Amino acid sequence: MLALRLARGAHPLVQFRRLLVAAASAGTGFLLLCTLGYALAHPEASAGSVQRLAWCAVPTAATVYLAVTVARTDPGTRPRSGLSTIGLGPARLMALSAVTTALSTVLGSLLALLAFLHLRGDLPVLRSDRTAAGFLAADQSLPLPAVLTLLVLVPLAASLGSALALRPKDGRARRPGRTDTGAQTAAESGDVPDDRAPDSPDEMSVPDLPLAPRPAPGGLPWGVATLAAGLAVETHASGGGQQQGLHLPGGLAGGPAGVLAGWALTALGLALAGPALAYLCGSLLQSMSPGAVRLLAGRGLQEEARRIGRPLGVVCAVASAAYATAALYGGAGPSLGPLTVLGAVLVAGCTLATLATAAVEARQDRADTIAALVRLGAPATVLRTAALLRAGALVVVFVPVTWVVAELAAMPLTRG
Amino acid sequence: MVTPPDNDVLWARALHFQHNGSPALCGVSLGVREGEIFAVTGPRGSGKTTLLQCLAGLLPVQRGEVWFNSTPVHTMGAITRERLRRDRFGWIDPAPLLLPELNAWENAALPLMLRGTSRRRAKTSALEWLERLDVGDRARKRPYELPQADRQRIAVARALASCPTVLFADEPTASLHRADAGQVLRTLTAAARSHGITVVLATHPADAVAVADRTMSLLDGRQVRTVHLPPVPEEGRAPCSLSV
Repeated sequence: MLALRLARGAHPLVQFRRLLVAAASAGTGFLLLCTLGYALAHPEASAGSVQRLAWCAVPTAATVYLAVTVARTDPGTRPRSGLSTIGLGPARLMALSAVTTALSTVLGSLLALLAFLHLRGDLPVLRSDRTAAGFLAADQSLPLPAVLTLLVLVPLAASLGSALALRPKDGRARRPGRTDTGAQTAAESGDVPDDRAPDSPDEMSVPDLPLAPRPAPGGLPWGVATLAAGLAVETHASGGGQQQGLHLPGGLAGGPAGVLAGWALTALGLALAGPALAYLCGSLLQSMSPGAVRLLAGRGLQEEARRIGRPLGVVCAVASAAYATAALYGGAGPSLGPLTVLGAVLVAGCTLATLATAAVEARQDRADTIAALVRLGAPATVLRTAALLRAGALVVVFVPVTWVVAELAAMPLTRG
Repeated sequence: MVTPPDNDVLWARALHFQHNGSPALCGVSLGVREGEIFAVTGPRGSGKTTLLQCLAGLLPVQRGEVWFNSTPVHTMGAITRERLRRDRFGWIDPAPLLLPELNAWENAALPLMLRGTSRRRAKTSALEWLERLDVGDRARKRPYELPQADRQRIAVARALASCPTVLFADEPTASLHRADAGQVLRTLTAAARSHGITVVLATHPADAVAVADRTMSLLDGRQVRTVHLPPVPEEGRAPCSLSV
C-alpha cells in the first residue's frame, strides 16, 4: 500500500507530527468513550450525558484542525516533479493524504480503546486492580456499535477535512503571472476564498515562475464585529441573574448558555481577525524606509499572514479563554476533574501544535526565497534576525489583544 | 604550492568535483585575468555550472585549488565564503531567482542593502541599473507582474548594482528568446567592460564567440580544445521520407 510505504519512509519530524495527530486522536477518543461510560453508568441522567458529549466537540474540533494542518504540511502528499507524469496527480495525492490522515487517527482511536478497556479491566492480560470510576461503567457490558461510532468520528472527520483541504482545484485562479496577464491574475485571485489550501496540489506548475501574491486578508472588520458581538452577548447573558445553565463536567461550573455562546463568538472573532492582524504586523514592520532586515521580515510576514494568522488567532482565543477561566475560578474554585484537565490539555496542545505546524509550513514555502538569499551571500544572522523580528512583532500585537479580550470576557462574570 | 600569476584575478588548478560519486569536474585548471570576459562553453552536463559554483565559493572544492586575488578560496570556511560572495562576487542564474515579495528595485538593491549600504544610495544605484537595462519604468512592479525577460533583466541589474569584482553568469540567457537574449547579453558585457568587472560566463559557443575575450570548452568535466563530437553513424536506420 503506497500510503503505508510513503508513511514509513518519512522524515522523523514528519513522523513526530503524525504521532502528535495520533496522540490527539487518542485523547479525544478516550474522552468520547468516557462520555459513553458515564451514559451507561447513569441511564437516568441523560441530559448530563448529552452535555458531556457536546463538550467533546471542542477537543474534536481541535484534533481535526491539527490533523488537517498536518496533512497539508505533509511532504509526502505534496505534488512532486515526476509523480504527476506517472499518474500520481492531484486527485490521487488527495486520496493519499486522506488515507495517511486516517492511518494516524485510527491508530490514536485504537490506543484510546485499549486504554479505556484496560482501565475498565476488560482486557484479560494486564488486569488493572484499580477501582473503576463512575465514568467507566465497569460493571456493564460495552455496546460495540456505540464504541465504533464514537471511535470512527475523529478519523472520519479528519480524513474528510484533509481531503477537502487538498482537493484538486481549478488552476486558473492562481496562475503564475507569465507575460502581460499579471494584472489580470491579481484581479482574478481577488475572489479566492480565505481558507483554500496554500499548497494544494495544482496542475503541474511551471517552475521558476513566481505566483501572484494573495490579496491582503480582509477579515478584520468581520473579526472585530464578531468579537464585539460575542462580548456583548456574554455581558447581556451574565447580567440576567443566576439561572442554571450548561455545566462543564468534572467540577468546573460553566456559566449560562448565553455566556458560552458569547465566548464561542469571541473565539470565532479572534480567529477571523488573526490573518488581518498578522498582515498589519507585516505592513508596520516594512513601513518607513526599511533596511534589508525589516524589508525581508515585513514582506515575508505579509506573505505568510494567512497561513500564520488563522492558527495564531485560534491560539489567542484559547489563551484568552484559559485566562478568563483562571480569573473566574482562580483561588478557591472547585477543583477540576481529570477528564476536564485532559480536554483542556488536548485543546491547548492541539492549537499550539497547529501553530507550530503552520510555522513549519511557512518555512518550507519560503525555502526558495531563503536559497536565493543564501546565494546572494545573505549572512545567516540577517535571516535569523528577520525571523526573530517577525515573531517579535506578532507577539507585540497579539499578546495585548489576547489580554484585552480575556479581561473583557472575564469582566462580566467576575463582577457578579 | 605554486603562487598564482599576478595578473589573474581568479585562478583554479586541477579542480575535481563529484556529485554523489558521479564525476562533474576532472582536473580543470584556468586563470581569469582582471577585467576580461571569460566564457566557459560545452553541452549540457559538461560541468559548466559546477565549475562556476566552485569558483564562486557556492560549492566547497573537493580537490584542487581556487585562488581569488591571491587568497585561497578552497581553504575558506562557509562563513568566509559567504562574506566573499556578498562583498566581491555577483551571480546570475539561468532563471531569475527573485524574491517574490519584493518589487523590482528592492530586489536589485537587496545585495547593496545586505552589505550595509544606506537605503537611499542602494535605491539610487538600483534604479540606475534598471534604467540601463530598459526596465526602469517597471521598478515598482512585483516579479509576478513581469514577463520572464524583464525578470532576468532585474536579476542582471541585481548582480551588477553591487559592482562586484567578479560576476559569474551561469547561462544568463537560457530562458530567453533570441532577441531578448542578445540584448541582455550585450548590456551585461557592455556594463562589465565600462565598470571593469571581470565576468565568468557559462554559455553557448555562438554567444561566447560574440562577446568573450577568451573561451574554454568543457566536455564531461574535462577541458577540451573543441567539442565537435563524431557524427552519429547512419547505418541501420530506416531512411525517412519528408514527403508525407
